[in-house]
Amino acid sequence: MINFHIIKTLVAKELKLFMKNRFFALITVLGMFFYILVYFLMPKTVNETLKLGIYAPTIPPILEQFQGEGLKLDSFDSEEKLKNAVLQGKVSAGIAFPVDFMKIIATGERPTLKLFILSNLPSEVKSAVELMLNELILMQTGHPLSVEVKQEILGYDMLGKQIPPRKLIIPLLAFILILTEGWGLATLIAEEIEKKTIQALLVTPITIRDIFIAKGITGTALAFIQVTFFLIITGGLSKEPLLILTTLMMGAIMITGFSFLIGSVAKDFMSVLGWGIIMFFGMSFPSFNILFPGAIITDWIKLIPSYYLVETIYRVINYGYGWKEVWLYLIYILAFSIGLLLLGTLSLRRRFQ
Amino acid sequence: MSDYAILAENLSYWYNSLIAVDHISFQVERGEVLGFLGPNGAGKTTTVKMLIGLLKPKAGKATMLGMDISTEVEKVQNKIGVCFEVTNLYEQMSALENLNFFAQLFSVKNFNGLELLKRVGLSGREKEKVENYSKGMKQRLMIARSLVNKPEILFLDEPTAGLDPVSSEEIRNIILEEKKRGVTIFLTTHDMWEADKLSDKVAFIDRGKIVALDAPLNLKQQYGKRALIAKIQNDDGKYEEKEITLDTPETPMGISNLLQKGKIITLHSEEATLEDIFIKITGRGLL
Repeated sequence: MINFHIIKTLVAKELKLFMKNRFFALITVLGMFFYILVYFLMPKTVNETLKLGIYAPTIPPILEQFQGEGLKLDSFDSEEKLKNAVLQGKVSAGIAFPVDFMKIIATGERPTLKLFILSNLPSEVKSAVELMLNELILMQTGHPLSVEVKQEILGYDMLGKQIPPRKLIIPLLAFILILTEGWGLATLIAEEIEKKTIQALLVTPITIRDIFIAKGITGTALAFIQVTFFLIITGGLSKEPLLILTTLMMGAIMITGFSFLIGSVAKDFMSVLGWGIIMFFGMSFPSFNILFPGAIITDWIKLIPSYYLVETIYRVINYGYGWKEVWLYLIYILAFSIGLLLLGTLSLRRRFQ
Repeated sequence: MSDYAILAENLSYWYNSLIAVDHISFQVERGEVLGFLGPNGAGKTTTVKMLIGLLKPKAGKATMLGMDISTEVEKVQNKIGVCFEVTNLYEQMSALENLNFFAQLFSVKNFNGLELLKRVGLSGREKEKVENYSKGMKQRLMIARSLVNKPEILFLDEPTAGLDPVSSEEIRNIILEEKKRGVTIFLTTHDMWEADKLSDKVAFIDRGKIVALDAPLNLKQQYGKRALIAKIQNDDGKYEEKEITLDTPETPMGISNLLQKGKIITLHSEEATLEDIFIKITGRGLL
């Protein structure tokens, strides 16, 4: 039977030690302010205007009409200047028209246009440039280019509803907050073993199970309360708050499991730091995948437990997904959380004994 | 209710192929102080760990206050206090916070931490972080922590190791006070003088086996050399040391000759120390 008096006493002790650890007390408070600051420093709107560079000795009349919403054209005096502008990122792409462009069109021949695109230009921008060029030629000549341009929407179709960076970064910041608290818990566990205070506890009438429950509650509560506060401030709970809170609670349990694992292998603070950094980078990949879609291979990223956590938060906050759409993800998160907590508990139990 | 505070029967523990404790049996009566002596790696710590519930015996059994340590460990732990050799306090917390925390774990009602701290000589510094304490102060706090639940059996592992003579004496006085209160004390120490002074009985453990268990005086009589050592000044002013073996037919004559021979400067009996006895029994020293 669970002894609530003992659990309460142990949790109070854990919280006291956590707050007395200057490092974690500082990064808990400062970290919170820092992440909120980062959130508010991120742009809250998305600039969807495509900026193209043009070098056209004789400007085709159609170009004048082409400028407007979503497209801005910058003219350059020479092909060389246009190339430099592309290389320096001043424009997304550059199109160089031949000197006798209008004449060639008039004779019904096919002119050669040069398109300058940076190798690392996102694929969606490349597609947009190609489409724009196709449209331009069609309007000018009445004939389409002899190039077939196929448009393929990768991921969600965000036409007209691009997510501002501020919203994109919420899952990453929320997850870092949870990870930081997990790191603190792992330190408390490692210190308990290193300083042998665990032995002092184990010769009192409390059981190892009491210790695990107390540490689990402490770790989960610290992570959950902080991330909830962060989401309240940043408006992350405006849609489906119960769903978000459930997801975060399971995420906090998952990180508690990781903390148990780290605590069971780490010998001291530096060791926790080392293992914590490995955990931090490994578990953060899915969050970065949201910030930079397509930059990370997506198949193996689904093996990282945090993938389902950040994806769920991301989809609910930004696309208004509900329980129906993410239930499978929730099951994955629950499975990973229970699995990691069990694994961490077993590993730590061995260390305690 | 069992007359014995601690009763161990064929208690054994091994780590893979290494036998740490090899079928040891002993009893400690209520209110008795048992000095548990042996060199490093002899099996002292493993024995203590089994008795306080940190290790489960691989064979044999032990009861404490009539309760089986394997099946009633939580009940046993409610009645014992343990002072470890290594300082394992929550150093970020104050002395009072440490004591109050453990009192809550033992569900001690109306616990007065200040009074306990006063008893171990730490009053006035109760709110200071333990990390700022000296080694002696920490050790006194360790003793105080082991007394939080008013234990019936007290396990003390090297309680005065590395302390200055004054701190050591203070701790010995606390141990004697607890003994007067009727607490059974299981004292693990390397300090033979301390064991001799505090223990009603001593047990020598070597290579996992108890090789001797008796009152220190009995052991000294059984294994020790009984003799008188006299330092005398001869008529020519020179000093000379004489040894007279006791309990022999020649003893009275020897003493008589000594008294007549010259001026006796010092005269004392020579007893074997516990360390001498240990060496005699095991063939090796205690450290």
